[in-house]
Amino acid sequence: MSPLPFWSLMAEHREAGLVVSLLVGFAFGFVLERAGFGRAQKLVGQFLLTEWTVLKVMFGAVATAMVGTVVLDGVGLIDLRAVADSASSATWLWPMLVGGLVVGLGFVTSSYCPGTSVVAMASGKLDGAATVAGVVVGSVIGGELLGVPAVARFADGSFLGHLYLYDLLRVPPAVVALAVALVAVAAFVGAEKVERIMGGKAPPSPARPRRAVFATLAGLGAAGVVMLALPHGTTAAPRAPARITAEALAGRVLDAPWNVRVLDLRSAAACAEARVPGAECAPPEALKDLYLADVSGARDLVVVAAGDLAELPAEIHAYPGHVLALEGGFEAWKAYALTAPEPPAPGAAPQALAAWRVRAGLHSALTGVKAPPPAAPAAGGVAKPRKKVSGGGCSG
Amino acid sequence: MTRDPSKFWNPYLAGVALGLVLLTGLVVLGKGLGASGASFRVGVTLAEAVAPAHVAAAPGLRGVTEQGSPLDDWLVFQMLGVLLGGVVAAYTSGRLSVEVLKGPRISTAGRIAMALAGGLLMGVGAKFARGCASGQALTGGALMSVGAWVFMMMFFGGGYSIAYFVRRAWR
Repeated sequence: MSPLPFWSLMAEHREAGLVVSLLVGFAFGFVLERAGFGRAQKLVGQFLLTEWTVLKVMFGAVATAMVGTVVLDGVGLIDLRAVADSASSATWLWPMLVGGLVVGLGFVTSSYCPGTSVVAMASGKLDGAATVAGVVVGSVIGGELLGVPAVARFADGSFLGHLYLYDLLRVPPAVVALAVALVAVAAFVGAEKVERIMGGKAPPSPARPRRAVFATLAGLGAAGVVMLALPHGTTAAPRAPARITAEALAGRVLDAPWNVRVLDLRSAAACAEARVPGAECAPPEALKDLYLADVSGARDLVVVAAGDLAELPAEIHAYPGHVLALEGGFEAWKAYALTAPEPPAPGAAPQALAAWRVRAGLHSALTGVKAPPPAAPAAGGVAKPRKKVSGGGCSG
Repeated sequence: MTRDPSKFWNPYLAGVALGLVLLTGLVVLGKGLGASGASFRVGVTLAEAVAPAHVAAAPGLRGVTEQGSPLDDWLVFQMLGVLLGGVVAAYTSGRLSVEVLKGPRISTAGRIAMALAGGLLMGVGAKFARGCASGQALTGGALMSVGAWVFMMMFFGGGYSIAYFVRRAWR
């Protein structure tokens, strides 16, 4: 978990979070303008091959932020996967392919993208304002289209969850970041060549900052190649696993079962008798047959032992994704989900009542025993957990 | 600072600066950069003012109205910041002027129509792609999301595929 609790800025200290958003936006707008992204000619030049500023700025920004997050993850200041899950969208392959194509067509037609059109509008460019209006209306039209069932099926189809390049390529994130830094330098060199061939109208970049940026990115790239040569796993020192409470696990198993894989490490007999819904029975001797080192780490892995787990088995350590251990083990699950919860006292807080409803619903669903209604008059039945993502087709 | 409208930042340094802005957002807020999301929220707010019953029934629109005003969101505040940052940067660089940027051979009305049409396309596309150049290509790209890199490739692919036909608008 991140020592910088950004969650609190989105929840408890929301006002502060919104002020920070405004400041980040200010810097974003300022840099875009100074890079020349408020001018259509500068942007469309990328596609007319005359000026490669778009590629230089975008690729530079992506490489900088990528290397930055990987380094901050390495020193323990952030949790890369948690940040990525929070800040990037999951992958819907086909909708993103088609959407990317359509946005690309729109970019060349208008010579702005949704963000730079706002900067153009801010600097008084009326064509920028027209693009802003187009994006506003177009996104509402897009929203209307998503109301058509067939379109919604397409837009929610080919859902792959939160999938990252390092899961796909099965290399550490640092290696991907440093490879991207190397490719960026190669692309910059290539771009300058093409700029010279296409007439050399673009003023050459001052050599000093250019050399510094190139050298830094290339150096980082070289460091990545060295890391790739090192044997994997030497950096993963055994440490106490991150924990998840029974309540949080119940929420994840019910809300988004496709994002979590649950392994029950108890004996096969105990697991066969009762287990967390969707859990796989994986007694220690059967773990090696799961080839956890070679599967995608896209789903979080939750391990359930009989009690608290002091140290993860080596096979589990090899899992490339996030690993969590159930706090208190199966005993805690039993106490939470398989024991009838005490109904809240009359006049209890709404949160307590809601938590009780979820728990009572879970209990009756798993045991078949119907919970008695709470003492206080409460309308409605058991609160159903809300499904956040419709479709997707890979619910466990 | 001297105002020179033709003077821009070195693109490599601008890239690093943009990357640092993005990194700040990721570390402090757990959120990146986004533009199309705020546009959608503005659009739904306008639609709600015209036809509230329709928005409440539209499955693709009502999602952002369920928790209070669609404008009460970090994306909208970031967009306000972009607007302010853009005004300040344009004013201090001498590029703040009301005009239509266009090539020599295209009429003003033609350029505005193209800008509007491109905006419409991007609005629709961004709904399907769950983001635009800021949200997908920059933020998702930096976080190594597979979908974002697919988006980026298709974004440039789509752009280059028709660039030949729009070049007359600029030359």
